[in-house]
This record gives sequence, C-alpha cells and structure tokens, in this order.
Amino acid sequence: MTVDEPTTSEDLLPVVMGPKTGDTRAKGILINVALYAICMLGAVALASLLVILTTDASPFDVIHALYLGSLSEPAAIGRTVEQATPILIVATGLVVTSRAGVFSIGPEGQFLIGVVFTGMVIFKLGLPPVPAIVLGLIAGAVGGGLWAGIAAVLRYWRGVDVIISTLLLNFVAIEVLSFFLNKTWLLQEKVNKQVLPPQSPSLNESFRLPRITIGGFTTTSGIILALVLVALMAFLGMRTRWGFRSRMLGLNPNSAQAAGVSKVLVGGGSLVISGLFAGLAGGVWFTGVNPRVVLGSGGTMPGEGLLTALISRRNPIVIVPVALFFGALRAGGLRLAATGVPSNIVQIVQALVVLAALLPPAILHVAERRKAVKIAQRAAAAEIASQEKVEVAA
Amino acid sequence: MSDANPAITLTDEAGNGPRVAVKMRGIIKRYASVIACDQVDFEVRRGEIQGLLGQNGAGKSTLMKVLTGVITPDAGSIEIDGQQVVISSPQEAGALGIAMVHQHFSVIDALTVWENVTLGERTKLDKSGAVKAVKEISARYGLDIDPFATIGSLTAGQRQRVEIIKCLRRDPSILIFDEPTSVLTLAESEELFTTLRHVVTAENRAVVLISHKLDEILNATDYVTIMRNGVVVAEAKTSETDARGLAREMVGRDVSLRGEAVALGLMHAAEQTAVTDATFDAEELQARPIVLDINNATVTGRGGVKLLDDFSLEVHRGEIVGLAGVEGNGQATLEKLLMSLVPLSEGDVQVDGEKVKDGRPGSMGHAGVAVIPEDRHEAGCVLDMTVAENLVLDDLDRVSKGRLVSKQLIRENAQKLIKEYEIKTPSPDTPMRSLSGGNQQKVVLARELSRNPKVLVAAQPTHGLDVGAVEYMTNQLRAAAEAGVAVLLISTELEEILALSDRIAVINEGKLMGVVERNEADLETLGMMMGGQAL
Repeated sequence: MTVDEPTTSEDLLPVVMGPKTGDTRAKGILINVALYAICMLGAVALASLLVILTTDASPFDVIHALYLGSLSEPAAIGRTVEQATPILIVATGLVVTSRAGVFSIGPEGQFLIGVVFTGMVIFKLGLPPVPAIVLGLIAGAVGGGLWAGIAAVLRYWRGVDVIISTLLLNFVAIEVLSFFLNKTWLLQEKVNKQVLPPQSPSLNESFRLPRITIGGFTTTSGIILALVLVALMAFLGMRTRWGFRSRMLGLNPNSAQAAGVSKVLVGGGSLVISGLFAGLAGGVWFTGVNPRVVLGSGGTMPGEGLLTALISRRNPIVIVPVALFFGALRAGGLRLAATGVPSNIVQIVQALVVLAALLPPAILHVAERRKAVKIAQRAAAAEIASQEKVEVAA
Repeated sequence: MSDANPAITLTDEAGNGPRVAVKMRGIIKRYASVIACDQVDFEVRRGEIQGLLGQNGAGKSTLMKVLTGVITPDAGSIEIDGQQVVISSPQEAGALGIAMVHQHFSVIDALTVWENVTLGERTKLDKSGAVKAVKEISARYGLDIDPFATIGSLTAGQRQRVEIIKCLRRDPSILIFDEPTSVLTLAESEELFTTLRHVVTAENRAVVLISHKLDEILNATDYVTIMRNGVVVAEAKTSETDARGLAREMVGRDVSLRGEAVALGLMHAAEQTAVTDATFDAEELQARPIVLDINNATVTGRGGVKLLDDFSLEVHRGEIVGLAGVEGNGQATLEKLLMSLVPLSEGDVQVDGEKVKDGRPGSMGHAGVAVIPEDRHEAGCVLDMTVAENLVLDDLDRVSKGRLVSKQLIRENAQKLIKEYEIKTPSPDTPMRSLSGGNQQKVVLARELSRNPKVLVAAQPTHGLDVGAVEYMTNQLRAAAEAGVAVLLISTELEEILALSDRIAVINEGKLMGVVERNEADLETLGMMMGGQAL
C-alpha cells in the first residue's frame, strides 16, 4: 500500500466481512443445533444396536431407564445435580489450565488425594462438625493443589511434559489411596477390632455437607459452592489482568513471554489452581455425595470433569449445562445398571453420547479456521485490487 | 531424429536455437472481481533461465500455479515440448517433468535431510540409496549438505538446498524457483545462481526464476518477462535491458523514491542516494548518548554451541544501526535476547545505562526495548486474539481501571492506533488471523511504537511485504530515529541496510565482525566480514 492510498478501512468492510446481519447469526445457531441433533441421533442408534445385540432389553428400555434415573421426578433431578457437582468443580479448574495452554490429565489423581486429605482431617482431628467440614474441604483442595504442584515443578524446573507427569501421578495417587485404605491407623475401617476390606468408615451424618431439600427434590449443598466458584472464575478470567495474561499465554507462549507474561507463574499457577479444584471436588464428593471411600472411588468422575472442560472449549459458563448433562448420564446410568444391563455396556453407551457431544464443536472449529483463512485471502485480494486502482489513477 | 535422446538436444530439428519447453498462450484466471492473469503468453526455452518479474500481486504466482497444476485457468492453452497438454493436478505436472521450489519451505523439521528428500515417494524406503542420492546431487550441483542433519538444526539457506535436492532428485526438465533468495544472503544467492546456470547449460533443463529483485533478474537470467496487474507488460533479452528500464515496467512509473529502490533491490540507486543524503552527520551522531548497550553478550545453546559469542554493540540516540550478516549467524538469538526470550550465559544488556535482567519475561520491554520480530506469528502477536487485544498485549496498565481490564479502554486505544497507523481492519474486534500480512505487521509496529520505546529493534522488517508496505515500514523506521529512538535494524538484505543505516555492523557465527560508518562502507568489505573475515 502506498502512502497516498485513498482507500479507507470502511471501503474494505464489505469485501472483508460481507454484510453482517442477524440472519448469519441465526443460521449459525441453526447449524449448531442441527449438528448436535445429527450426532446425538447417530450415538443413540449405535447405542441401541449395541444393547439389542448384547442384552434382552430394547433400545426404548435403555432410553427410558436413563430418563427415569435422571429427569423423571424431583428426586431424580436431585441425583443428577448431585452427580454433576464434583464434575462441575473439576471442570472449573481445568478451564483455567486450558486457557493458559496447559493440558493436564491429572484431575483423577488430584481428586483422590483430595479425598484422602479431607478424610484424614475429618476422621483424625476430632473436630466438631462445622470446622471439620470446612477444614476438611480446604485440606482436600490443598492436597489436590500440592499433587498438581509436583507436575508444575517438574515441568518448569526440569521440562517434564505435563501430560505425561499428570498421567503418571494419577497411578501414584491410586496407590496412595490404596495405602491409606489398607492401614487401620490411617483411613481403614475397623469395627470391634475386626479389620474389614480396604474401605473407610462411613461418614457420620453430621459430618456431611448439608442437604438442600425442596419437596421431593433433594441434593447436596455442594452445588451452591460449585456455582459460586464457576461465577467467580468466569469473572476473574474475563475481567482481570491475570485472565488476559493467561489467555495470551495459552494462545501464543512466545508472544506472551516477550510481552512480559511469566510461564512459570501463570502457566504453573494455572496447573496448581486446577489441582486445588480437583482436590476440592474430591472433598465435596466425599462429604456430599458418597460418604464411604473404597478402592476405585470416584471412578471416571474426574475424567468426566476433563471432558466437560474440553466440550465447553474454555467457556467458563457453558460448563454448567455440560456438567449437568454428565450428571444426568451418571444418574441415569445408575438406574440403567439396576435394570440388568451390564455396567460395561452402560459405560459404552455413556461414551457414545459423550463422543456425539464432542463432534460438533470439533467440526465447527475446523470450519471456523477455514473461514478465517478465506477472509484473510479475500483481504489480500482486496489489497491487490485497491493497489491496482491507485496505479491506474497514477 | 538423429539424436537418441531428444531431451538433451540443444536445438530443434531446424537448428533454430533452443527448443521451447513451455509455451503458455492466452492464460486467463479470475478470482471474483480480481483478474490475476489476463491473456498471458509465456514461454520458456531449454538451456535458458527465464526471469519472471513483477510486484506482489502482479500475477506471477498465479501463472506458475497454472503451470504446476495447482489451479485450473479459466481459459488458455499450454504446450510442453510442443505437445498440447492439460495440467489438472500437481501430479500431472510432475509427470511432465515440471517441478517447483516454493518460497515457503515444505520440509519437516523433525526429520533428517535424507528422510525429507524421500518424502512422498511410494517405493520402499531405501535409506542407503537416498543418502547416496543426496550426496551425489549435492556434489554435482555444489549444494553442500549433510544427509543425516535434522532439518530443525539447519539455516534457511540450507533448508532451501534440501528443497532443491528434493526437487532435482525427481529429475525434472523444467524447474521453477519462486523468490528463492528472499531468505538468502548475497553469497548464498550467488551460489544458488551458479547451480542454476549449471543446471541449464550442462544439462539443458529449463528454469523459471520468479523474483521482484532487479539485480537478481539482471545477473541470473537470459530472458525476462515482466508482469503488472495480471498482464505481461514487457519481454526482453536480459542483456538488452537495464535496472531502471525493468523497474519502470514493473511499477509502471519511474522509480524515484529511495524506499522503493530498496524494495526493488536496486543496489545502485540505493547507494547513490545513500551517499548524497545531506542529513547524514556521523560525528554528531556519535556524540549522542548511548541508549542500547550490549556488552560481551554470550548465549549458549544446546550442546554448548555459542549462538552469540562475546557480542558487543552500541546504538546511540536517534541512530539507525544496521546489523548485516548471513542468515543463521546469531541474528535470531540476538532478537530473542532483546525480546527476553533467552537468557545470557555471560555479558549484559544495558538500556540508558541501566542493566536489564535478561530472560525474565517482559524485562526488555519494560526497560524500553521494542521489537518487531522477524516472524511476527511466532512471537509478535497472538493470532487468535482480536486486533484490539493485539494492540495492547501485556501493556495492561493503560487499559485497566483498578485491577480490572477495561474493554472500553482497549477499544479506544485500538481505534486511535488503527487510525494513526492506517491499519486496514473491518473492526477492532476482528481476529488478528483475518488480517493480511502487511496489516499484521502494522499492528505489531503500532503496538511497539505506542509504548514510546527508547530502543526499536526491527528484524527483517520488510521481508514478504510489497513495495508500498516496504516504503511505509522504512519511513516509520526513519521517523522513529528522527524522534530520538535508537534503532537496530537486523537484516540479511544489504540494500536495505545500506539505504537506512547510519552505521553498519556485521555479525558472523554469533561474533561481531566489525562496525563501519555508512559512507565508508563498500560492498567488498561488508561481504568479507559477512564471510567471517574480521575487519
């Protein structure tokens, strides 16, 4: 572009963007809905086929059981919310890490360490109920944060890949929990000097998180805590310098460092924050959802938090409906298992539905990238065209 | 035909000079409202280097994409070796013996040279055969390369050698080079042209050299075709033209501005203006305070390699210092050092006499060092953030209210800078990715200058820009210097350095070879220093 270039940016507007109307937005939403519908139908069809092939149940029975367990009545909805609570807390922390460009698959380990810490504080310190719960949850968060901190230190001190370290730390955490559940002086239950299988004592009613009960609807008060955290993190992420910086770091680490963003503080910090949340989720799960810890506790729940964060694509608000969706699947799955469908089939059905939920964002992401490239190409063409104009004029 | 191998006959049956290898007639290609090629005729003969000259967007690349089957023309015919052909895919072009070395490399960093050379071949992987072939080709054409080296460890010039070897291995009879010297230095370019000359004279291949540099066209080609706005405006025997005539045809008017002369690689014009520049006063500049002071800087890379080796350089207030050198001799490391991306193992960097903590994120920026990096995508901007956000990045103080970032202030800042720097963007909230290269560069420039820096470091600031954008950039650098900023210009284009700098420093293998005043600089001394001989 020459200096005496007469074209202004307004001239380029229609060329670069095309007319911007409400139509295009409505169209976008429509495409979104259609994509989800197609993928979901596909998943349900596959799931039905699988169920027919492996059990006597009909596909309708499957859907009906899922519905009965998760949405049919206030009590079922309460169970859905309850199951969604730890998932939501895990996902809230992971939104922070993925925004900073750090990919952790360690929520499972951090969750279990959170359970251990919370359990030790409540069972061993002998505090009265309220301080025991508060301190227990804080300890759970700290435990998870420390566990994630190991990966952060390894990453920024010795350059160990976060995905690998967090994955391996999950296995270590499983063994740590196993150790605690196999020692009566730690968390193992002991009744009348008789040692039971590796499991913790059941948490006394008064040491559990209070319930919210409205008519037939009953759920854990942990959901309030989770929602407050979601709102808080969304606000911090969108409005603070820390949020801006971590976004910059996630999108281009070199530019971010040149501009003054510390990988160690912001990147490592985000990893520790996700650990705090996963640990807290463990504490909430133990005190609010499942009062007895056994080997394999939590199961795939932290992993579902990970998926929730993935599906929501860093959007801190979208994680609420997505977490509820996973909660519903869990609650419905419990019911489905009760109808005699093998639990591994239940898990496959859940996985298919998850895949169906993951596909549309992936498809849209690719489409968006292509569109951006096209816009850039058109802008370049417009630049050439305007240059020609100038030269003709000259 | 008497000759058993027609591909190496120098003349056609009638003996009328070189055989026509490519004959394109009436090629038309439109993109929406833009005509990229309008009734273009183009010919290439065996045993000759055909130059294709034109500015960015003149239609050169489109024409070559038609020839290589990447795009299909709207109209026109192509003859290869006298046979009418339709080229509808790159594979078909390859089968016809047409091969192209692209401006942007298509090698894979993590693989070795021989692995890259065999990429895309469907036969069984034959390591020893491939290594042998690489060695053979590199010996035959003087393309010195280690077949076992990893691409990631090579310089741009070496990577290009790999591309050329990869291309020659398929034994093409028609070779196309798209702006091959844009990342090479003078010496490397000359080597390349020697190779090209060998390829055409000794092996009777046909070569197309796409370029916008006049010197290159004048020195390396036999015939030249000049395109402007999608049409062929002139064709000539190179020996019968001169730089000024070529430039006139290329831009459509007489070249007068120094900035343009630089962009066109018109060395002589640049030198003339350099000497006659009345404002130049070396003694006065040297009396000014030193702003950027690099002392014995040493940066050690992997395996103990010294990327910067005891490197010292001073830049005064209001001065432009050009750092010349062959690509890959430590310029990138110096740039990273001044962006706080790498720490020093020895030495220090001072700004206004204050030592700057090296390698700590943002420390150089806070001390007043602004950098326009060579690769703006890698470290200059965040493509997935908006233009407005890219105009701020970490300078959050001025767009914050209390501890919170204000969207409104970000927008206001963006509107001001977009207007001031004539950035073409639909809105401040457009993603950076959607802007053209020249405008992305302007965003980086606007952000860095709006911080009122004391030092401005520009690395290859005009690389990949068209003439107008080059002029804009050079004017901005000069204006910054006039406003009292210490400017360090890192460039592999000597013309650019000669045209802009007050003093010229030369770097080789991370060491400073010497510093000369502009009016004392001559190409021979600079060339020797760039080749590693200290002054």
